[in-house]
Amino acid sequence: MTELQAGQSAQPLEVPRIDARPQRYRDVLIAFAAFAVLALLPMLFGSKQLLDFVIRCAAYGLFATSLNLLVGYTGLISFGHGMFFGLGAYGFGLMMQKTGVPIPVAFVGTLAMTLVVAVVIGAICVRLKEIYFAFVTLAFQMLIHSTILSWQSLTGGDQGLRGGIPRPPFLGIDLSNHLHLYIASCALLVIGLLLMRQIAQSPFGYTLRMIRDNATRASFIGIDVWRAKLTIFVLAALFAATGGMIMALFVSGAYPEFAYWTISGEGIFINMLGGVTTFLGPMVGAMLFLILNDTVTRLTEYHGIVLGIVILFFAIGLRKGLMDFVVEWFAQRRGAAGERAP
Amino acid sequence: MKRTRKPGITRRSTLALMGAGAASLAAPWVARAQAKTIKIGMPTILSGRVAQLGTSSRNAVMLEVEKVNAAGGLAGRQIEMVIRDSKGQPQEAARIARELVNTDGCEMLLDGEASSGSFAVHEVARDLGVLCIHTCSEASSLTADPKQHIPNAFRCVRQGIHDSIVGAGYAAGIAKAKGLKKWATCSPDYAYGRDTTGEFVLYLKKFAPDVEIISESWPKLFQPDYTEVVTKILQAKPQALYSCLWGGDLTSYIDQANIYAMFTQMEVFAVNMADYTALTVVKNLPKGIHSGDRYIKTFPPTPENAAWGDAYKAKYNEYPTNWSWQNATAVMFLNEAVKKANSTDGKKVAEALTGLTIKCPFGADGTVTMRADDHTLVGYAIGWGTTIPQEPYVPDVKAGDWKTIFELEAEWKKSKGYT
Repeated sequence: MTELQAGQSAQPLEVPRIDARPQRYRDVLIAFAAFAVLALLPMLFGSKQLLDFVIRCAAYGLFATSLNLLVGYTGLISFGHGMFFGLGAYGFGLMMQKTGVPIPVAFVGTLAMTLVVAVVIGAICVRLKEIYFAFVTLAFQMLIHSTILSWQSLTGGDQGLRGGIPRPPFLGIDLSNHLHLYIASCALLVIGLLLMRQIAQSPFGYTLRMIRDNATRASFIGIDVWRAKLTIFVLAALFAATGGMIMALFVSGAYPEFAYWTISGEGIFINMLGGVTTFLGPMVGAMLFLILNDTVTRLTEYHGIVLGIVILFFAIGLRKGLMDFVVEWFAQRRGAAGERAP
Repeated sequence: MKRTRKPGITRRSTLALMGAGAASLAAPWVARAQAKTIKIGMPTILSGRVAQLGTSSRNAVMLEVEKVNAAGGLAGRQIEMVIRDSKGQPQEAARIARELVNTDGCEMLLDGEASSGSFAVHEVARDLGVLCIHTCSEASSLTADPKQHIPNAFRCVRQGIHDSIVGAGYAAGIAKAKGLKKWATCSPDYAYGRDTTGEFVLYLKKFAPDVEIISESWPKLFQPDYTEVVTKILQAKPQALYSCLWGGDLTSYIDQANIYAMFTQMEVFAVNMADYTALTVVKNLPKGIHSGDRYIKTFPPTPENAAWGDAYKAKYNEYPTNWSWQNATAVMFLNEAVKKANSTDGKKVAEALTGLTIKCPFGADGTVTMRADDHTLVGYAIGWGTTIPQEPYVPDVKAGDWKTIFELEAEWKKSKGYT
């Protein structure tokens, strides 16, 4: 009997199917709980500094987590992700200043503009691999940054978008009110993280992991690798732009620094700090980064040295981000407990 | 001899008890005295490429604050400066400014930021309503554009448009005297470079209509190699060159242009040269570069200005910068405004600052004014001169005429739609 005949006579393989629904519901519940806790913070603590911190965490957290969709999940190390952060800030600020449309319309309009730009840039970038991908994203970032600097009549050049961002109230929400801005930022953060979590846990998310691990094999089993990479590139850009919009609202303006390579560098640094193998790693990294930045900057002008030592500690000491380390440590403990059990 | 202890309360114990009692009674007074301290927040750039300017701002502020505190403080309240590094990032400047007010309890802000940071801090001042004096940004629109205006923000800094008017007037005089008709420009490729150059050329042509620009170069900000730019200018063979390169860019450019003997082949007008940070760093400072004053202790040529420069040098072992005098002037304004208002309340101080004229070592006539209609500094010493390779570096500065500045500034504002 040939192998083929043997295969025909055998029973079909039973592929274990994971029902993703319970996990999805669990994620939604966690998101609701997280939002409730964040919404309660202003009642428990009167510190405006804390609210500012959470707003900045929302901006950087969305940016860093979206970058991790590329770096951690797809293996695309982008050095130019900051361009979408900057585009979000400028797009939103310009629409509010020039057109006077309601805030939700400017929000959707900015996402639409980012989508178009990301499709064009992504279509070129994702054709390349590894360091070539990294460099071409960096090149596009510098192009966007130079455009912002040069197109002074529109963007204000190096002085940024000045004069504040108008914030007409909508649906009872007044973003010029600090508390309203805080709640809105928290809502955008939670919704953004939930959506990114769904993407990461979906079959598409697992396709991305396969592309990261073995793109050739993924291609052989019929996956359109280019399209999958482009899709995640565009999705990540949209979440980064959302982070940029929160930052624009926080500083009431947009500045070329938002689209400079240093922002992308900070994104990579945040991912290194928090970890790239766990979904919440970049969020933890963003919090760590901002705490480090705020405290070290307050204590010394030599914050570069301190941050450098922290990087060395994570790179040489832990060899992974904080969340990666914690999750691995728990897994090892659980494994050791399992072995001891009778 | 053995000393025996007397029964009852000893003299020492009595004194100690009295001391403790007095201390406990005085505690509320001590606490109140401490509460009288007034905190002033200052976000500025203390790290990175322009850290030297931020440090010189901090130095100047502390120099003046020590004088005010020694004289009793602001309306009897000792000043406590809370100075933080923004790293030159606008989002950090905004964050720190908010934190200084909301968390550290600062009642006023001295904004020691470059332009982009200043606009970010300006929005924080708009949002929080706190008194804010910008001390470094030269961008004219910060106060000239009425859309930017808020009653609680002031700008105690020289302005780009003032520099252009005075520089062009000075350059036109030399152009006419020496017959310099063919000009080249070489300025950094960003808003400050393009704006300042555009304004200089506009007024140069107004004062000397037969001037022609035959070559323009726009090197990138922080560009390390200027060979290409220098050779391009030399090939065009202009009779004069204007540049608003600044800081490390300017000194690198001059060092590299020296190799090509550029300064013997044309007249060079570099607005940002006459600041000690540039003058002392260039390896072989060419003789005869025309420059606007930034901070020079010999201009204005008054004992007060020289004394202030020497006091700064004695304390910090270096000469002050352009940012230094501007920050020092801001503290002087605060001090006088609080005296006038007889209060440290931000609103009252802001009202007192509006239109206030004070005595100042950096004034063209010994005084400077915080102009009422746009909350910006006028009447400061502004002029142009030529360099020599050693102290005093720019021995003879020709002062600009404020009457002309006001007339042309008003025209400029009208042309921009500001009035």
